Amino acid sequence: MKTWEFIVRRLLLLIPVLIGVTIITFTVSHVIPSDPARAFAGGPKAQPDVIERITKELHLDEPIWMQYFYYLNDIIHFNLGKSYLESRPVSDSLSQYFPATFELTIFAMFFAIPLGIVGGIISAIRRNKLSDHITRIIAIAGYSLPIFWLALMLQYSFAYQIPILPLEGRLGIGMDAPSSITGLYVIDSILTGNLETLGSSLYHIILPAFTLGFATLALILRMTRSSMLEVMGMDYIRTGRAKGLSERSIIFKHALRNALIPTITVTGLAFGGLLGGAVLTETIFNWPGMGRFAAAAVLGFDFNAVMGFTILIAIIYVSANLIVDILYAVVDPRVKLGGG
Amino acid sequence: MRRDNNVKKKAGFIAIFLSAMFIVLCFSGCVEQEEKAEIKNPKTLVRYTIGDAKTLDPADCYDTASSEPIFQIYETLVTYRGDDTKTFYPLLATDWSVSNDSLTWTFNLRQNVKFSNGNDFTAEDVKYSFDRVLTMGAPESGVDWIFAQCMDTNSTTVINDYEIQIELTQPYGGFLALLPYTIGSIVDKDYVEANGGVVEGEENEYLKLHPMGTGPYVLDHWTRATEIVLNKNPNYWGGWEGNHVDKVVIKFADEPATRILALKNGDADFTYVPYSNLEDVIGEEGIVVNPFDSYDVVLCAINTKASNNEYLTDSQVRKALSYAFDYDSAIENAFNGYASRLPGAIPVGMPYYETQNNGQPVYDYDLTMAEQILDDAGYTKNYDLDGTLYRFNGRTIRLFYNAGNSEREKMAVMFRGALDEIGILSSVIAEGWPQLLHRMYTTDDWDLMFIGWGPDYNDPDDYIDPFVGATDTFNTGYTNDTVFEKILEGKYSADTNVREAAYETAYDIYIEEPPFLFICQRQYIRPWRDWVQNYSYNPVREWYFYDYYKAYE
Repeated sequence: MKTWEFIVRRLLLLIPVLIGVTIITFTVSHVIPSDPARAFAGGPKAQPDVIERITKELHLDEPIWMQYFYYLNDIIHFNLGKSYLESRPVSDSLSQYFPATFELTIFAMFFAIPLGIVGGIISAIRRNKLSDHITRIIAIAGYSLPIFWLALMLQYSFAYQIPILPLEGRLGIGMDAPSSITGLYVIDSILTGNLETLGSSLYHIILPAFTLGFATLALILRMTRSSMLEVMGMDYIRTGRAKGLSERSIIFKHALRNALIPTITVTGLAFGGLLGGAVLTETIFNWPGMGRFAAAAVLGFDFNAVMGFTILIAIIYVSANLIVDILYAVVDPRVKLGGG
Repeated sequence: MRRDNNVKKKAGFIAIFLSAMFIVLCFSGCVEQEEKAEIKNPKTLVRYTIGDAKTLDPADCYDTASSEPIFQIYETLVTYRGDDTKTFYPLLATDWSVSNDSLTWTFNLRQNVKFSNGNDFTAEDVKYSFDRVLTMGAPESGVDWIFAQCMDTNSTTVINDYEIQIELTQPYGGFLALLPYTIGSIVDKDYVEANGGVVEGEENEYLKLHPMGTGPYVLDHWTRATEIVLNKNPNYWGGWEGNHVDKVVIKFADEPATRILALKNGDADFTYVPYSNLEDVIGEEGIVVNPFDSYDVVLCAINTKASNNEYLTDSQVRKALSYAFDYDSAIENAFNGYASRLPGAIPVGMPYYETQNNGQPVYDYDLTMAEQILDDAGYTKNYDLDGTLYRFNGRTIRLFYNAGNSEREKMAVMFRGALDEIGILSSVIAEGWPQLLHRMYTTDDWDLMFIGWGPDYNDPDDYIDPFVGATDTFNTGYTNDTVFEKILEGKYSADTNVREAAYETAYDIYIEEPPFLFICQRQYIRPWRDWVQNYSYNPVREWYFYDYYKAYE
């Protein structure tokens, strides 16, 4: 099977995945007897005409299977419905919040992937030495520190006690966002030549990106270390050494490429997970991303918003897995896409 | 030798680690607040809060988050000033009069007022604004009901450029109190007509995002879930002499710790701090924590419908329940002491609240009295459950609250304990808000429910009618024709004596057969930096940033 055939096949598999996701989410969110129309219309202060309008908009006066049919029909027409919490289309909310989370995730990964891989390599090749101990302490800290605690401590230390970094947000207080091209403030600032927002957005992303990336760094570091240790003990590495290959060549040319396969897997899944929004990091650093939006939607019973978010996350996860599979083949030529 | 090296390396590592920790601690200790902190951004007021606005169109605004920026951008004919809720102050109207039959109101309008786009403000804009509210019908919020109580599209007549007349469809005692609410905001007719106009039953998407009024500030930008930024309106008729800020930033931050740090480091001038976090800011250098009495009331609704629980239809049972609730402990435990007793449907501070037992609550926590009332009414302890006797043949009274509301949870749990002491079986049930609404309005399958209410406008009719009037907003099923009649008498009269007598009579009746436990009024606490001057709290007209400025005095 050719690579493009593999990709198309996997993308087609997305359709039943999405249908499954919508059925489960729709059922879970609609099966409990409730009065979302009255809740959205203002609770006890709701006016009858507004309740009636929302009931009709959401087809709440029809059987649940008909409601699902209407919803599916809307999705096919790229209409995710309206978020009653935000009083605007769900697609508008997602298009604002997803780039914010994407930008944060990219920066978290910029920091976590290279440091994690380099740390893992150093830790493996200098096993039981001081540098190994240090990297292992970092890894254990990354695993064990609760993310909300780390976020609050960083905020308290570097935005309050030693105020060298901003407390929260994507930009300085009162600063208007750069003209939206991609929704990523750093990229948009570069594209529009807005140095003020570029500086401010880079300055503001340091703490949340570090917080978000720290656990992933630990994950990558540990995975790279254990994979490297396993590969370094293999026969072909000993053969390489016996043939007189340099240590650099053995590590980077022969060992690392094999050792990276499991690292790529965990990195891909972590990337997908972070794109779903990191509720705690986004909430503490007041980062207007997917995590905050999804949490508010769930707590506010904003069904359309929850459904829209879930569908997007399903697409992201499937895509992340697909990219991981493709990367396998790039890193390890023995891997053939689509089997056979 | 090699072992020695390892030991040295480990010791070195520990030394580096401890040194780093020491340096960090030293820095932490060295950074101390000065006597008077430097004022951050002296010409900008920053308020950290929760909850983003839904709309910036005053004709469809029914939430406090939206009303805050709207009140800075738009103006109304009359308003409240400072913390005074008893006096109507002129704003876009200079003076007004009312006919003897309380039906015709005449307003003289302020001259030489311009909208922020430079257009002149005239009586045509007032008529257009009021008619727009009623024609558009607030499709998203339904808030037009406030005007529709006593106005229609024929009510407002332009007499000349600076005089209008409003003919009410029926007399309404609270009419003037409706005008300072957001739907009383005056829009520019030409601006609206050029941007979508008025369509019956449809919101104006342009006005929702692009507000423009005569107020002191104009919208700079609104970034959803982030901030609303307002700049000063150079055309403002009130001028910019004296002390004012040029810019206002309303920031939305969900995490209390973030908001508190923002206040402490001076990024925020005001912030919202939950009761449970107030200890983090009380006593902090440069931070003022001052509670104000709000009109936000806390109640426990009782379902009096026979179809649900026959015992609760008996007013004696409801009286006993009123005595069984420990109000002071609830205030102390659920609200950290930041609340005060509520005498009846009308909150203390609102006009006519004295008609309720001179503003003093009738019921205090008295379990002996509660038991006496139940015994006298024949509800003896007749049901044996594992050796303990209970009343009502063992029927359980279910106490509902919306999941996640910790204050209501504390009150419900506390009340369950008290009910157990007087021999009433009860259970505490938390449900999601939409489920609770379904239960309250569709199934009638509930006994007691902890709820709250906030003001729409400063008139008792906004409280007494929904609670114990025929409107029956909480679906308690309470019925008393005399009470209903008196409430309507008070509503449709502009005569203060008539209203006073009507509300007093209604109170004397419904408090003896209470369909609610009238628990408390929350206090409003928004800690602020001590460099903010001239701030005052008004329970019905919150935030008037034009009046505040930053300086040490």
